[in-house]
Amino acid sequence: MTATMRKYIIKRLIYSAFIAWGIFTVTFVLLRIGPSSPADRYLATMGAGKGDIEEIITALETRQGLDKPIYVQYVDYVTNLLHGDWGWSFSTSMPVMDLIRIHWIYSFQLILLSMIFAALLGIVIGIYSAVNQYSRIDYLSTFFSFVGISIPNFWLGIMLILIFSVKLGIFRTYYDTSLPVFSFENLKNLVLPVITLGTGSMAAYTRYVRSSTLENLKKDFVRTAKAKGLPERTIIWRHVFRNAMLPIVTIIMFDLSGVVFGGAYLTEIIFGIPGLGQISFNAIFAGDYAVVVAVTLIGAFITLLFNLITDISYTFLDPRIRYE
Amino acid sequence: MNRLAKYYWSRLKRNRLAVAGMIYIIILILIAILGPYFTPDPNKVNFAEKNIPPIGFSIKQSYYDAKKGEFTTVVVHGNLEHPLGTDDKGRDLLSMLVSGARVSLYIGILATGVAILIGAVIGVSSAYFGGAVDNVLMRFTDIMMTFPFFLLLVFVVFIFGQSINLIILIIGLTGWTGTARLVRSEALSIRTREFIQAAIVLGADSKRIILRHMIPNVISVIIVIATLSIPGVILAEAALSFIGLGDPTVASWGRILNAGQDTLDTTWWVAVEPGILLFLTVLAFNFLGDGLRDAFDPNK
Repeated sequence: MTATMRKYIIKRLIYSAFIAWGIFTVTFVLLRIGPSSPADRYLATMGAGKGDIEEIITALETRQGLDKPIYVQYVDYVTNLLHGDWGWSFSTSMPVMDLIRIHWIYSFQLILLSMIFAALLGIVIGIYSAVNQYSRIDYLSTFFSFVGISIPNFWLGIMLILIFSVKLGIFRTYYDTSLPVFSFENLKNLVLPVITLGTGSMAAYTRYVRSSTLENLKKDFVRTAKAKGLPERTIIWRHVFRNAMLPIVTIIMFDLSGVVFGGAYLTEIIFGIPGLGQISFNAIFAGDYAVVVAVTLIGAFITLLFNLITDISYTFLDPRIRYE
Repeated sequence: MNRLAKYYWSRLKRNRLAVAGMIYIIILILIAILGPYFTPDPNKVNFAEKNIPPIGFSIKQSYYDAKKGEFTTVVVHGNLEHPLGTDDKGRDLLSMLVSGARVSLYIGILATGVAILIGAVIGVSSAYFGGAVDNVLMRFTDIMMTFPFFLLLVFVVFIFGQSINLIILIIGLTGWTGTARLVRSEALSIRTREFIQAAIVLGADSKRIILRHMIPNVISVIIVIATLSIPGVILAEAALSFIGLGDPTVASWGRILNAGQDTLDTTWWVAVEPGILLFLTVLAFNFLGDGLRDAFDPNK
């Protein structure tokens, strides 16, 4: 590793810390300028007759530190989050951290399998389309990628349930939580959710891979390789594929936060998968603030982490990139 | 129509999919505006006419006949009175979808307008002022971009409430980041051009340069972004309604879809129809947006 690379990586790390601080601050500000917590009101009405609601709210606010000056609240908020104290989920009666520890694996499983499905198919179809440009298969794949990009993922999920579960009875309509995560028996559980979540991304990747491959096919090094008499297969996989992949990595990372997290949220709700989207969804209707905040923060931090990994891995993958 | 608009129109016309998308959108807007005057009340509940399938379909329905004291099965056919069928409360689906089109387009266009306005102002100011202003605005954009869009949307709607105008404002306030980045990079390249330098030399102030010279030159980028953003916004609202975070007083496509999911085994069409409309609408805006981008691109 060169000195400039090290300097660049350190700079990226510091910048990521700054963004993390920004994420804390934005959520804090939103929580504070929002109307007062319905959870407090809910607890207050649960525990008391009409007369002393105000009193109980005051007591609750004291307990949650809402009576302290705003800057003290802010410092408390950030330090608690940094110490891993993410609050108490009253609707499930456990610390938010424990709740997340139980449920994250389901989201991870769904997202990981969907991304593999989307990336594999997207790359293969995209390259095939580009190599056979203007063939019938190329037109077909272009058409289907337009359809895939435009189809609302939650509707696709319902249509799959309607066709394969309700009408044909091949898959169950609901996710069976008794099967172990990441097991072979569980695959049947996940076929419909993975297609639901993966289709939009697959369609998008197909289009990017196709255009990126087409661009690289015109490059001089491809002509050189052809002139050398290399077989077509070698040219495509060794020369074109490698160069076409670099922008795809960025697209996948961008897609993850822009589309996939939202899609996973909806997919989990449709199929009843007990992941983070599902617990956030349940928490919304219970008025359980801490959980909703936690899931939003986790989404942001995973995005931040992946952006950092993408940037740093680029310094190793592509020696042409200059760091300032 | 001025000469430039005519020129772009002649370029856009060559793209058949874009024209088809545009025609679909115009028809949809007309239906959304005029339709509710011609269709029956979408909220009228009529249990005598519940679960009627769309025209051309028929389903078997069992019900308890109180006179005979036993269950009877009858075949229900779709009829002209309810061409798209009725839901489990006997409400006419065509009316519901027409008034849903109004809601979805209203939110789609207005929220996109808010997002584009914020994004354009931030992008252009960032490019024009540069230095510290650029730094602060772009760092803030980076922070906002780190939040996954839908999670942020759910979070903010959860905190601030679910009225339709609030949702429009929230989508606008969370969805401007991409626009800001694109407009900024476009404006940066325009800023170095001679006519801006000339305006500065002639003593034009910042406000005049931004409003009279920079905005008109990034307008084509803005139109393309707006067209391509509307379907995302419509889908975001539909998704919010679908998970029960939409405005409970208006029947948007997402809410009809949500109701349809619960009755999939009996009235499948309630979930199928709003989805098809959503899909076609998104497709139409994507085609039009793609066509506009090509039409505005001088290199094509």
